[in-house]
Amino acid sequence: MPFPIVLRAKPIVNWRKLRTILLTVLVLALIPATRFYQIDVPLLRFLQGSRHVDPLALHLSGEFVENNLGTQQEPDGSVTVRMIAQQYLFVPHCILVPAGVPVHLRITSADAVHSLTFNGTDYAVKVLPGTISEAQLQFPRPGEYQTPCREFCGAGHYAMRSELKVVPREQFPALRPEERGGCAPR
Amino acid sequence: MRHARHRSAKLTVAIIAAASLLLLASDNPPDRIPSYVAFTPETIAAASRGDAFRGMLLAKRCDHCHGAEGFSAEAYIPNLVGIDKLAIWKQLEDFRSHKRQSRAMGPIADSLSPRDVSDVVAYYAKLPAFADPQDNRIFPQSRPDLGHAATASRLVSFGDGERGIPPCQACHGPVAYRPGVPSLATQNAVYVLNQLEAFAGQTRANDINMPMRTIAALLTDDERHAIAEYYGSGLGLEPASSTVPK
Repeated sequence: MPFPIVLRAKPIVNWRKLRTILLTVLVLALIPATRFYQIDVPLLRFLQGSRHVDPLALHLSGEFVENNLGTQQEPDGSVTVRMIAQQYLFVPHCILVPAGVPVHLRITSADAVHSLTFNGTDYAVKVLPGTISEAQLQFPRPGEYQTPCREFCGAGHYAMRSELKVVPREQFPALRPEERGGCAPR
Repeated sequence: MRHARHRSAKLTVAIIAAASLLLLASDNPPDRIPSYVAFTPETIAAASRGDAFRGMLLAKRCDHCHGAEGFSAEAYIPNLVGIDKLAIWKQLEDFRSHKRQSRAMGPIADSLSPRDVSDVVAYYAKLPAFADPQDNRIFPQSRPDLGHAATASRLVSFGDGERGIPPCQACHGPVAYRPGVPSLATQNAVYVLNQLEAFAGQTRANDINMPMRTIAALLTDDERHAIAEYYGSGLGLEPASSTVPK
């Protein structure tokens, strides 16, 4: 007998098991990918927490009702800025923040894709309808920054810009909840 | 058994009381809601379901002020012709929910059912705008002077990028429209001016996500007059290039 034939009970590679493992890895790898491309999957939305908002009903309830927009002071000294981007405005139109303080920006879009940029800085925040874009900003010196939209969003895109005023920390007034939006002298 | 039910009822009352106390104690003001309308597909379907013939019968009541052909005889009363159905529908719904205040329109809108609103809207959406020498309409009004015409043409066509004022025509047509935004091409000057001033002074606050309150506050008094005269004189019906004075 030149060659003994042995039938193995178990194959060396269990293709079925391997296929299951590979598929699992692939699905797990797709989760960050879907987050990046903003694919709306209800399960992922549930897992990601409260980042999903209804762009058509921002004014009815939730975080982006109009009296909640603007600059909010946090107990730790930082500020949170909430904004809505829409064709062809950023609301509130003027934002007041203190210098040298972490600024936590939360912005969402009511219609198209926008991009909030701050002239003279490297900051650019992509704004998509249906999700909240977050960014950590800091402005070391007082000044005024024009904040144009840098993502073509429609017929009035080129006139879409608002303003960010950075004031010295000691000049930043204590804000009451009803006076968050705007830069008018208080 | 009865005891247990009693206790759970007490507990519910206590929880509700505690929750309402917490709500009252929190320093956050209540949500300020500009309008209960949100332009979801369901809303648009409900607003588009109207019967234009029944709307025409109901609109006989509107004719007294807004004109039988959709053009009013008084400059402070808006023309309803040539406006998108969603725009009229939203305003009637806001009058119904008292989010937009008007001594004239408030009681009228209160007397309308949701079905009446969509029927009336369907009628006005089909009403054609045509010239009629027999009509006592006030539209169009006199043309603005050259200075105002130039200011208005610039703001309507290009806006003001330096100040962040978008062009009117990007939302109010004819370049582009957004849901619920009225066309201004056949609107009366005094009405447009009154609304711009109301938005700027926050006495009218039913614009969703406050685009008009923001823009009207950015405009100067002179610019508000110029834009109102521009639309009131019918210049919005013509291509902008022919109206820019040399």
